[in-house]
Amino acid sequence: MIRVRGLSKEFGTHDNGGGVLALSDIDFEVHDNEFITIIGPSGCGKTTLLRIIAGLIPYDDGEVAIDGRAVAGPGPERAVVFQNFALMPWADVLANVTFGLEVRGTPPDECRDKARRLIKLVGLEGFEKRLPKELSGGMQQRVGLARALAVNPQILLMDEPFGALDEQTRRLLQEQLLRLWEGQRKTVVFVTHSMDEAVMLGDRVMLMTPRPGKVKEMIDVPLQRPRSPQVEKSGAFVEIKEYLWENLRAMQVGES
Amino acid sequence: MKQETVAKAAVKSRAAPTVARLPALRRFTRENAPELLALVAGAALWEVLGRSLGLQWLPPFSKVMEALAQFVGSGVILANLGSSLQGLIVGFSLALILGLLLGSLMGRYRYVEKALDVYVHALFVCPSIVFAPIFFAIFGLSDASRIAIIVVYSMFVIVINTATAIRTVDPSLVEMARAFGCREAQIFTRILLPASLPLVFAGIRLGMGRAVKGMINGEMLIAFVGLGALAQRYGAQFDAAKVFAIAMVVLIIGLVSNAFVQMIDNRLTRWAD
Repeated sequence: MIRVRGLSKEFGTHDNGGGVLALSDIDFEVHDNEFITIIGPSGCGKTTLLRIIAGLIPYDDGEVAIDGRAVAGPGPERAVVFQNFALMPWADVLANVTFGLEVRGTPPDECRDKARRLIKLVGLEGFEKRLPKELSGGMQQRVGLARALAVNPQILLMDEPFGALDEQTRRLLQEQLLRLWEGQRKTVVFVTHSMDEAVMLGDRVMLMTPRPGKVKEMIDVPLQRPRSPQVEKSGAFVEIKEYLWENLRAMQVGES
Repeated sequence: MKQETVAKAAVKSRAAPTVARLPALRRFTRENAPELLALVAGAALWEVLGRSLGLQWLPPFSKVMEALAQFVGSGVILANLGSSLQGLIVGFSLALILGLLLGSLMGRYRYVEKALDVYVHALFVCPSIVFAPIFFAIFGLSDASRIAIIVVYSMFVIVINTATAIRTVDPSLVEMARAFGCREAQIFTRILLPASLPLVFAGIRLGMGRAVKGMINGEMLIAFVGLGALAQRYGAQFDAAKVFAIAMVVLIIGLVSNAFVQMIDNRLTRWAD
């Protein structure tokens, strides 16, 4: 379980006196095997929040704990999927997927076996020897997903993973992610700026407001699992999406 | 399975393009036609100017080739070439090791860069030959002097390029490595080093060229052996054909050493093009 209590984060306090409050008094929990999506306008600190949970940046106040242990850096129970894929351009698909396993000291044979299994799982069998630049964006992010899953994390942290992809690719990857998640339910924190994506994937949607980033509301998504693309036509889906848009629109209008 | 064979075929075809079936010489001529034409035209122009102008400092191309053939035949070139290359290899290797080490530290650690940047740039801009008398004073008329000159000639461009290369590595890759639990040493070997290789090699190529310059300049000033010393001697005798012949040999060393670095570069950074 991920527990966040009274979390605050300020940027730029050291260099230029007047710091920017990126996150203020954030409270929420993510239960085991829960899929939570975080949405908010740009500047609401959703990516910052994810990076704090990942242990990549420190926080100023409050508490961030995983199964009761305070987060003080990256840990083996967490894996991150990045918006820009963050693949090593010099390494082929197989080497990219084995990366996390190798740095954790897994024997080479085991690395390769596990990586091959994951590459197959994300549908990239036959592309093991390709370089990232030889793959489409969607395929590259599937490599990123396989790399994260390869270390068998308990928690998957996804930072706008499909944000850089075109809509068709994005929808296909959403469906694939849902299928993977149904097969092996991990705890997922998924940051997005797409309302469809937030509702489609999440058990709950966390709506954030900007400047400073705060939690506005936690919204339950009472849609049945497993979810098919048809779910988008259901009343509940449309209603939640509308509700999110009303809120996000009000925030944007207030900004401009 | 089918996809796999397709992928394999693609890899194979990239490694062995169809052009490879042509005889090597014909392929070489075809691919380098502009360069070869330029060289032939240059030699012809040189020959014509040399003959028609009759200047003492511009012997015709054929005379230079004659002098070169004599040098090679008498073994003079070989003896001096060996001495020069020895200095070049030792000096450049030292420059490479020091340059990569210093450059890496400067690229990764902001305070190291801040501390050393002014020295590195000062020494990079400063004509390296001014250090020759100092090295001569320290090491005397020994190999150490020549080698030290080669090091100062070639090291700083490697330092600067390596530092820039390391500093400009995509920060999201470093973050990714940290997210997977890499320690500093692992970030260095697994991310920073491979990612910076293309730019590092650009520096190594420049450093190689400067090392050849340093070799000749050093020998001209403070050595009795080597191609530089030879050029110095014939220069003093106003024997232009011989000086040009030595220049030809230096030119070839420059081209070959550059091609050698390029070959290693191509092997290691194929992913970048």
